[in-house]
Amino acid sequence: MSEIRDDDVLIEVNGMKKWFPIKGGMLSTVKNYVRAVDGVDLQIKRGETLGIVGESGCGKTTLGRVLLGLIPITDGSVVYDGTNILDMANREIRKRMQIVFQDPGGSMNPRMSVRSIVGEPLMVNGLSEGAELTNKVAKLLDSVGLKREHMNRFPHEFSGGQKQRIALARALSLDPEFILLDEPTSALDVSVQAQVLNLLEDIQEKHGLTFVFITHALNVVNHISDRVAVMYLGKIVELADTADLFKKPAHPYTHALLSAIPEPSLDKEKKDRIVLSGDVPSPANPPSGCRFHTRCPIAEKGLCDVEEPTLEDLGDGHKVACHFPLGLGMTLPVNDDSL
Amino acid sequence: MRSWDDGKEEREESLRRLRESLSQSRNDLSRSWKIYKRSLLAILGLMMVLSVSLIAIFADDIAVEHPYRNLQDTEDKWSIDYEPRRVEPFSEECDWHEQKIVTNPNSPLFSETVVAESDDKVGDDNRYYRDTLSAITIIKIEDSQGYDLNSSLLSIDPDNSSILVLSPDLYSNTSLYAGVWVTYEFDNEAMHHWWLPDGYDVCIFGTNDQGQDLFSKVLYGARVSLKIGITVAVLTVVIGTIVGSISGYFGGRVDEVIMRICDIFFAIPGLILAMAFVAAMNQVTSLTTPVWLAVLLPILVIGSYSNSFLSSTVPKHGQTDSHVMSKLVEYRWWILLLPALVFIFGWSPSNLFGWPEIFELSESKIWRLTAVVAIIALSGVVILADKRFINNSSFEGGMERLKDSFDWTNPWRYLTFRTLAVFISLALLFNFSGTEGGDIVIIKDFDRLWKVQAALIFTGWPGYARLIRGQVLYVKEMTFVEAARSVGAPSSRIMFRHILPNAWAPLLVAFTLDIGGTILSASGLSFIGLGAEPGTAEWGILISESRRYFLDSPWLMLYPGLAIAVTVLGFNLLGDGIRDVVDPKNRR
Amino acid sequence: MIGVAIFTFAIAHIIPGDPAAIQCGDKCGLIVDYTEDGEPITAYESNRIRLKMDDPVGVQFWRYVTDLAEGDWGDSLLYHRPVVDVIKDAAPITLEMSFLALFIAYPLGIILGIISAVRQDRMFDHVSRFFAIAFVSLPIFWFAMMLQLYLATGTEHGGICDPIFGTEGGCFPIYGRHDPSYTYPEDGFYSFYPAGGTGFHLVDSWFVTDEKLATMPEEWNSNWLLFKDTLVHLALPCAALGIASAGSLLRYMRASLLEVLNEDYVRTARAKGLSEFRVVVVHACRNALVPIVTILGFSIGGAIGGAVLTETVFAFNGMGRVAVTSLQYLDFVVIMGVTLITSVIFLLSNLIVDITYAIIDPRVRLE
Repeated sequence: MSEIRDDDVLIEVNGMKKWFPIKGGMLSTVKNYVRAVDGVDLQIKRGETLGIVGESGCGKTTLGRVLLGLIPITDGSVVYDGTNILDMANREIRKRMQIVFQDPGGSMNPRMSVRSIVGEPLMVNGLSEGAELTNKVAKLLDSVGLKREHMNRFPHEFSGGQKQRIALARALSLDPEFILLDEPTSALDVSVQAQVLNLLEDIQEKHGLTFVFITHALNVVNHISDRVAVMYLGKIVELADTADLFKKPAHPYTHALLSAIPEPSLDKEKKDRIVLSGDVPSPANPPSGCRFHTRCPIAEKGLCDVEEPTLEDLGDGHKVACHFPLGLGMTLPVNDDSL
Repeated sequence: MRSWDDGKEEREESLRRLRESLSQSRNDLSRSWKIYKRSLLAILGLMMVLSVSLIAIFADDIAVEHPYRNLQDTEDKWSIDYEPRRVEPFSEECDWHEQKIVTNPNSPLFSETVVAESDDKVGDDNRYYRDTLSAITIIKIEDSQGYDLNSSLLSIDPDNSSILVLSPDLYSNTSLYAGVWVTYEFDNEAMHHWWLPDGYDVCIFGTNDQGQDLFSKVLYGARVSLKIGITVAVLTVVIGTIVGSISGYFGGRVDEVIMRICDIFFAIPGLILAMAFVAAMNQVTSLTTPVWLAVLLPILVIGSYSNSFLSSTVPKHGQTDSHVMSKLVEYRWWILLLPALVFIFGWSPSNLFGWPEIFELSESKIWRLTAVVAIIALSGVVILADKRFINNSSFEGGMERLKDSFDWTNPWRYLTFRTLAVFISLALLFNFSGTEGGDIVIIKDFDRLWKVQAALIFTGWPGYARLIRGQVLYVKEMTFVEAARSVGAPSSRIMFRHILPNAWAPLLVAFTLDIGGTILSASGLSFIGLGAEPGTAEWGILISESRRYFLDSPWLMLYPGLAIAVTVLGFNLLGDGIRDVVDPKNRR
Repeated sequence: MIGVAIFTFAIAHIIPGDPAAIQCGDKCGLIVDYTEDGEPITAYESNRIRLKMDDPVGVQFWRYVTDLAEGDWGDSLLYHRPVVDVIKDAAPITLEMSFLALFIAYPLGIILGIISAVRQDRMFDHVSRFFAIAFVSLPIFWFAMMLQLYLATGTEHGGICDPIFGTEGGCFPIYGRHDPSYTYPEDGFYSFYPAGGTGFHLVDSWFVTDEKLATMPEEWNSNWLLFKDTLVHLALPCAALGIASAGSLLRYMRASLLEVLNEDYVRTARAKGLSEFRVVVVHACRNALVPIVTILGFSIGGAIGGAVLTETVFAFNGMGRVAVTSLQYLDFVVIMGVTLITSVIFLLSNLIVDITYAIIDPRVRLE
């Protein structure tokens, strides 16, 4: 494991937990919690792109929100550039960390012009107003490949890709160091996806940005990320360099995810697809021990359902939380009923 | 101080943006109109509402007489015994005048000639000041027992049609010394509608038991009803929006408390509640108690919500922004509980605390001003005690921004919401302070119907609160609200710029429908005697007064009722039409 | 419930009207007693002492709530009877009228709403929609009086029909709950129902014993005739009260059904080749009715509110009229009682609605 020097790390997440209470009964007492994020440790290096993948409901979006301090953390800490974000002024956080949302249309107020949408961060932070604001907005629009004339139009007059460009311009307006991209491409057509991804890469290079890229599309992650974290039921099960992870996934869940990527192939022989049985367990009631053991093809009774595996380093920063990490070249038993 | 030229660029920029937003709203309007005019009923409703509004505005010009003309309130000696007559619509009897004539020559009031006089010296506008009438024909003469006499006993002076000449037969007949009643037709030009054909141009709705023209009363009734309907609807919308958006936006315990209060309101039928409220108001001599209540209730609400806030923002890391704040947070329970305890157990009518006296203390202007300022300051402190609120709104540069809004070099700035809010709050503060010794001006300016209006506002706001709460909850979950939060927009901006503009559509529909509903309730209250004063030109009162003549003069209740029905129908159709427009299913 | 209790209590206490002063009227200054120290006590003060008005508000409230729980709702100053008795007499009158009105309004509104939705944008739809809005816009009291004028006065007074149900005047009686030529046995001033009866004349008329019937005038000497008379007397009030509900129901039903008719499962049902009748009635209506049931709970409250007006017009001594009268005489004990009982009825009806919900909509189950 290569030592990460402290000044390299932009964000450090220690034991982050976010539990949402489920209320019920006569007096609205808390009955149970949804453990959306349940103990995540993560380090985000300056200038890198960290992909976070996982199926829907695994807590990746919540993780992002807590990271930005948009929703309060239940336990643990998020340390941004050496300071706990709880101790930072809200305004300070907003200037340094920004977010691009999944649904480009929904993330814009339909009753505001593009000028107000992109200029809002500058306006509410008291950075500029009036004619100056108009100029700044024009510059921002230009940097994401839009024109000055677009400024007075309304969101519904734009296509999905253009909307996402506007959202990006808004995120860039405060000149942040870090942008959280919450499935920015999943609502777009494949052709537009590529454009947006390229734009993201360009901008990252130009502004020296750090990205966290949340998605469920593995091919996108492969394209853009430097490192990838795989989440399952509120926990990170595997964290590795992108190439490493795609070449030799160590966690059975990652393995299953990767095998689900359709590959164009002329061979008659079918690819070994691992189809996981059963549904994702409820995050309000996670399984004991390893959370994946209910669906894991190699789970062992008495160990996996009792003891929770910790995130262990396999070397080269490849971390995995599994009692039986798969070595290079190991394959999983294929379900017979999957054909 | 900026010079005029410094602001040139700013002015141009603001003006350009203003123009753009205007053209945008014009586009919106024309699109809405396109959808709206698809429905015939909606157009009909719009026409009904427009015509009722026009009638209300131009009632002075359409009506033939002042609605409060009182025929018996006169010093005219000849008309003391004037008999008001209820006449049917279009009846020629409208132009008849009946008066008693003294025929006893020994009476000091006796005279051989009688000037046909009327008593129409009425109206603020003096438009129906008729002193003498010119008589056209004598219809009939009756003695005091009601027996017809020969009509030649009285004649009209050929030189002056205003003078009736008594024949010697009349005043020498001692059996008629009790006086006679004469009915004559007079020239009643002012009471004729020029826009109607001959024979149909008089008292088209008939006259009531006071001899007043019902048509005029119904016309003026439109004014009263529209005023009640619109005032009440506007104020309930404002109150409901404020309460509902607080409830929906902040959620948690505030929401819980507000919604329970609303449930209580829903559990009691609105009309019964309004009745109880009006009856209670009838007991109020000084207006300060309800005002104080109106002030206290929001404070209680704010108090409870700030408590839930405070409890959720107790800093985990042992830091608060200042010493005062930490003390506030530490003792929050006592701060909130003590006044409540004192209020509940100290408020006994006769003990030394003398709460009622405090609540009615309103005579001095200084006291009222102090009270208003204290209340604002108190709520300010309570809000500021919340850490999250401080984090979310910035006061740095606040002074400059305020100065900016008053930037004289850029007049367009006065159109911004912030400046308007400052002006409105200044006006409110000024109004609330009232004049020395007088009642609080806002309420005093309500007319005599303010009790009805207050009652309907009191019962009406929970509906809006619930509606707005639902809308806010719905819009709040949209991503753009989170996006605004993620760029550091303060709560107020999120509320006013992001949530409310996207939540008002159903509100507009409810508002329009509610104007009609309010008119119905107000007339219902008047009908059971808890609304307008008897004699008012208000439709409910007109109907309730006509109940006595139910069988003889059904027109007295027919026309006011029709007026209510048409007005309410108009608003309902209009509301339906607007619903079609704002319904997302009709968006293209 | 507790909320409503607090609320009514608050209303009665915030109102500046002073019950002690109202009770003694202009004799408040009279000295009626002396304290142990020989200080004079005026009638006003003795009233205050008797009504325990000098206790702290919290104590007074606690006393009020415990009294309520024990069934002691105070004594009416106007009727000189316990409030519970006053309400017991008045409530059945209002309920009988409201329920019958809704009983007519619901089927009418729902059926017309269905037809209107099925024939969307045809003539029937436009006409029925217009009338629905028009009926909602009518002032209840005025409509009631118009009904009286045209249906209860007979042709010589401008009405449109002459007696057909053995009534005088028009084809319907003009006011009252029964023919003035007889009274129910043992009627008190405020109790028009037979002692031991339910108070609902529609029910009680079947339980009048033969010997009592024998004392009746000839044209009213059978249970059926009494029942018919009650029904005839209820017809106009119920029509006045129900017409607005029917109108609004029609609109709700139409909107709800139109929404359901656009659903995929309705299309599926059509695709299966089911008859249009079956599609609409079996598949669509069942789902379209769900929101309508919710309105039922609210319309009961609305009907009781509207009853205030109809009762005034038709001279029924129901809760609405009791409320109006006691308000005019500032008898707040009665008003508090009426408010409480109406909210109880409202809450009960909502509970019933919730249960009905569970029956209609399988997704909602009682926990």
